[in-house]
Amino acid sequence: MRSIARKQEVPNQGATVRERLRVMDDSAVVTAFLGGEERAFSELVERYQTRLLNFIYRTIGDREKAEDLVQEVFIRVYRHLHRFDRSKKFSTWAYTIASNLAKNELRNRSRNPLVLMQTVQKNWQDDDRPLQFEDTTSRPDDMYRKRHLREIVEESVAKLPEHHRHVFVLRELEGKSYEEIAEITDCNLGTVKSRLNRARNSFAEIVAPYME
Amino acid sequence: MDCREFQENHFAFIDDTLSGIELVGMQRHIAECESCAKHDTTVRRSLMLFRSLPRIEPSAEFSERLNARLRELRESETSSAFHHSGKFAAAVAIASVVMLGYIGSSLRDVDTPRDIVFPPVVASVPEPEFVPLIAPGPALVTSAAAGLPIWTAALYAERQPLHFATADLQLASSH
Repeated sequence: MRSIARKQEVPNQGATVRERLRVMDDSAVVTAFLGGEERAFSELVERYQTRLLNFIYRTIGDREKAEDLVQEVFIRVYRHLHRFDRSKKFSTWAYTIASNLAKNELRNRSRNPLVLMQTVQKNWQDDDRPLQFEDTTSRPDDMYRKRHLREIVEESVAKLPEHHRHVFVLRELEGKSYEEIAEITDCNLGTVKSRLNRARNSFAEIVAPYME
Repeated sequence: MDCREFQENHFAFIDDTLSGIELVGMQRHIAECESCAKHDTTVRRSLMLFRSLPRIEPSAEFSERLNARLRELRESETSSAFHHSGKFAAAVAIASVVMLGYIGSSLRDVDTPRDIVFPPVVASVPEPEFVPLIAPGPALVTSAAAGLPIWTAALYAERQPLHFATADLQLASSH
């Protein structure tokens, strides 16, 4: 009877720990993990998986590869969390790892034209899939226009130079401050501002004809 | 404010990080310059489009794959730690065996009866007693070779500073 009661208590305890972790800030969750609470790592994954996935996806333009890289980010975080300087923000550290992996991926691709070609082909195949993000009750011509515009926007981001795109995505998609972007991309503040300004202007120039 | 200045500060204008004076300057410039006003609108609209792009979600297998990789990582870390500790344990075991062997052999040596071996007897002649040499010293020999009697030479050398002192006194009193 007592063992049954104990068994019933365990999941409740687990739920309480998860709830407690959910309300903690990143720094406290990291501390909990380093203190031996393995569930704290799942909390970090839950908090950052979608954000990192979108950041990497918008930077490299390949969804499947982006998922692989996000996995790699978490593996690295898991292995090196004990070395993380806790006076800094965890999110900045995680984004720095993601940013470096995305840069390496783009560098590898530029060296290997076959990989680049495969990515382009895969993206074309992706384009043939039915849209999931649009309102199916819209009129067909509206849906077409929206889809076309989305493609244009995605292509326009991809057209930006790599270092401009990095800063642009971190600012516009992730809402990072200039200082955080400087730390993540290992650039000075002035460079971040000038790259952001140029990226915005270039992006607007590419998209402008389709907005009229 | 001119158009160049407007372009340079445009990113901060969009992010709303300008100071009050700068903000008023930018707003005034937009009101006056049609080209910059158009540029501002285009940038803002394009950013709105980008920000409204649908966010993608991790696939259904994402968590499963990640957990499997983390499990592998934990296992490899544990096995490597075990491997290292195994190596250490083996080294300790070998060292212990060697040590025990050495102790055992030295104990066996203690137990075995051995012939008593005395140190060899060394006979030595006692050292001769010191006998002072009664012979003339080197100064005496030198003086004798020069034909000078020793005591006069020694006296002369002893008196020399006195002679010099009296000579100085005499000279001083004569003046």
